[in-house]
Amino acid sequence: MEKTLKKEKFNSLITGLKDQGYKTIAPKKDSNLVMLDEVQSADEIHLDHVQTNNSIKEFFLPKTEKILSYRIEKNKVSMEEPEGFAVKTVVFGSRPCDAASLPIMDKVFNWDCTDKFWVQRREATTIVTIACDKCDNYCFCTSVGLAPDSKEGSDVLLTKVSDDEYLVETVTEKGEKLVESLGTVFTPADNPGTETLNRQVATVENKFEIEKVKPWLDENFVHKVWAEFSTKCIGCGACTFVCPTCHCFDIVDECTMSKGDRVKNWDGCQFKMFTLHTSGHNPRSTQDQRWRQRIMHKFKYYVEKFDSILCVGCGRCSRVCPADMNISEMLEIIATEESQPVNKE
Amino acid sequence: MIEALRKKAEELLRSKTVDVIYGYGEGSTPERTRPVFITKPEDVNKLTWNKYCVYNLTTYLKRQEARKLGKPAIVVKGCDAKTIIVLIKESQIKREDVYILGVTCNGVGEPQATKCKACDIHTPRIYDELIGEKIENKEISFEERYAEIEEYEKLSEKDKWEFWQKQFAKCIKCYACSSICPLCFCDRCIVDKNQPQWIDPSAHPRGNLSWNVTRAYHLAGRCINCEECQRVCPADIPLNLLNKKLAKETEKNFKYRAGYNIDDELAMATYKEDDNQDFIK
Amino acid sequence: MENIYKPYLMNISDMIDEAPGVRTFRLNFLNEDEGKNFQFQAGQFALYSVFGYGESTFCIASSPTRKDYIECTFRQAGRVTNALSELNVGDTIGFRGPYGNVFPIEEWEGKNLVFVAGGIALPPLRCVIWNCLDLRDKYKNITIVYGAKTVADLVYKHELKEWNARDDVNLVTTVDPGGETPDWSGKVGFVPTVVEQTAPSSEDTIAIVCGPPIMIKFTLPVLEKLGFKQEKVYTTLESRMKCGLGKCGRCNIGCTYVCKDGPVFTAEEISKMPDEF
Repeated sequence: MEKTLKKEKFNSLITGLKDQGYKTIAPKKDSNLVMLDEVQSADEIHLDHVQTNNSIKEFFLPKTEKILSYRIEKNKVSMEEPEGFAVKTVVFGSRPCDAASLPIMDKVFNWDCTDKFWVQRREATTIVTIACDKCDNYCFCTSVGLAPDSKEGSDVLLTKVSDDEYLVETVTEKGEKLVESLGTVFTPADNPGTETLNRQVATVENKFEIEKVKPWLDENFVHKVWAEFSTKCIGCGACTFVCPTCHCFDIVDECTMSKGDRVKNWDGCQFKMFTLHTSGHNPRSTQDQRWRQRIMHKFKYYVEKFDSILCVGCGRCSRVCPADMNISEMLEIIATEESQPVNKE
Repeated sequence: MIEALRKKAEELLRSKTVDVIYGYGEGSTPERTRPVFITKPEDVNKLTWNKYCVYNLTTYLKRQEARKLGKPAIVVKGCDAKTIIVLIKESQIKREDVYILGVTCNGVGEPQATKCKACDIHTPRIYDELIGEKIENKEISFEERYAEIEEYEKLSEKDKWEFWQKQFAKCIKCYACSSICPLCFCDRCIVDKNQPQWIDPSAHPRGNLSWNVTRAYHLAGRCINCEECQRVCPADIPLNLLNKKLAKETEKNFKYRAGYNIDDELAMATYKEDDNQDFIK
Repeated sequence: MENIYKPYLMNISDMIDEAPGVRTFRLNFLNEDEGKNFQFQAGQFALYSVFGYGESTFCIASSPTRKDYIECTFRQAGRVTNALSELNVGDTIGFRGPYGNVFPIEEWEGKNLVFVAGGIALPPLRCVIWNCLDLRDKYKNITIVYGAKTVADLVYKHELKEWNARDDVNLVTTVDPGGETPDWSGKVGFVPTVVEQTAPSSEDTIAIVCGPPIMIKFTLPVLEKLGFKQEKVYTTLESRMKCGLGKCGRCNIGCTYVCKDGPVFTAEEISKMPDEF
């Protein structure tokens, strides 16, 4: 039976989740930003936005996290495992692109060996997505095989059907259990069948033909466009840090004389230090090489290794870029080049 | 004005006075511009000038990728031109290394950038060629120039601490602030030095505090208030409050404003026996 | 669920200074059971950590045929290796590994082997050299060409003597011009040149090359000239790594994770990778 969630029930939803011991993450206004963050009440939830400034990534791969603690006494060391990092959580109101990033990242954190910090948080978290009813010029989910109402990675998908009502679709067993457990928070649709017709879903313009991107990348590791496009790049990490699929990290120790932590921190391929060897040799010593790495990793290397594009078209990197580097523009250039090859000099 | 700019740029490239123009071009949306690097005279039509030209393009003087293109002419607003004065004073560039295409400016940004509200530098104080009608640089009082931080200064010490703790909690350590800063030109930044580890690399409260405070202090008496760090911060941290506060203290104590006069001695790199030392007691 | 980032604790049971700034540690597992269950093969690497300073990546320098201990040799260069060099016998370090792929020494059985190493890159080959020497009957001629900047910079000096004295090893040592001492009896010249002069036969021979990028760059063409096919030339790549487990994304060269798919590659495999190492 079709179910809906009325806005007036948001309160009971949050209370219901709290009662069941869930931590609830939802979009929240923070001066000029809209951030996915912990909420205590429904009043805090902000849904009038295209995209949250932060991605869903940080709830599975935090910007900094302990992976080991230790104590040092003279020359003896004892180690302790971090605990309590995987808290029962519901992410409510994330966008379909963010949700779709999760199964893509599952591949790298599970292949060959399992990163429990990612995996256990994934297991503990239920994703309730709200389909996008609006988009902006930076959105390009439809160009990477997704849509503003994609279900990939979501456990429950909500779609606006009127100003105060959302159609509820359960996507996974986990989602079904959650909906069931909240009982009357979700109500049977007033007019079964019609809600599906009134779904308010944004129209995201298709900007480039994705199938043309990889063939071009296969042939053009050396090409003038890398440098031409990236001269303006200032080499910061904003694009990689706001990206829901960029997952590179650093491991460092932080300690006092007697105890310390080994921590995992976000790191990014646009920093010149990222690949610098101790000897001073740097395999990617210039920004065009680093920019190429970001594009190649997302649209060629990851595809070859894990059979997924490492991009969900959320557009965050382009929105925050200090120098207005626009990733979909780069991909448009690539897709066009693939159709009309020009000389590479 | 755009036409005059393009004409001059074309002339500079044709005469080989410079190899490249660092200028503003159309951005990915109508509300944005982006840095462009014009090396061919026939490409000068890519140059533009409008109220969205917020960037301080002198930051590309520190980037090897831009420097590789040869001697530049840089489009600078009055505020940006101050950077060149500091860079010359700090021996980072020679005056003859850059051709300064000064543009007169009545303010940028939509809504208008904070720095424009008390602007006393509509016309650059240093240039090789001025584009646009000269606008008289009006003197603006000390109070008015630092009005932006008035509210902040009224906070108690405890409230200030809480305010910054909340702000720095948002920091993700992407280093956009230092990457965009034309005066953050150290080849190896202090955050990249780990023997010893001066600044915790983690984006936790301690690491974020030490990074943001160190960054601001390293710009004390040097920052020319282009506000680029604040503009680019993806976490929306009001970094310019720190810069502005330090600029105010520098002016109060040393009567020095960074980038205003090429003959001024640098506040932090000049020793004087009669320096005001009250602040250090 | 197991924490893949948790290291074993190891005791430093012995140390040898090999060359200025270069030291070898002999390590034993603090937990004996862990030690008994531990297995590795020649070519693999590990992450060694000094608690409070972090982890550093280098190869296991001892042979898997010597089961009672692990040895590693490092040059004092960065934060972690400097901290390592402050440690003494009896101190505890962290050890994560073994990681990465291996030298296919079983495939090499019945063949001649030529090892070429430069400077601090002998340790990664020492593991496989000893492994093959400990199984000496399985291989035909074994040639080792090893060079360093100066005589002092040569590592494993005691073992070089031992190899030199053996009839079943052809050891050629060299130092860069100007790096020789009055009593130096080895060659003077850069490694690629010395390889050319030594001219090992490529007939039924495997070459294993390890050294700084510049040495590898000039040695590969020499081997090609001597008739070595690319698939018969092996090397082990150095790359900046953090996790060693194919997660952190740092060591990627194209879609290759050096930490998982490497560090051992043939020259043929390397020729197909993007030029980013």
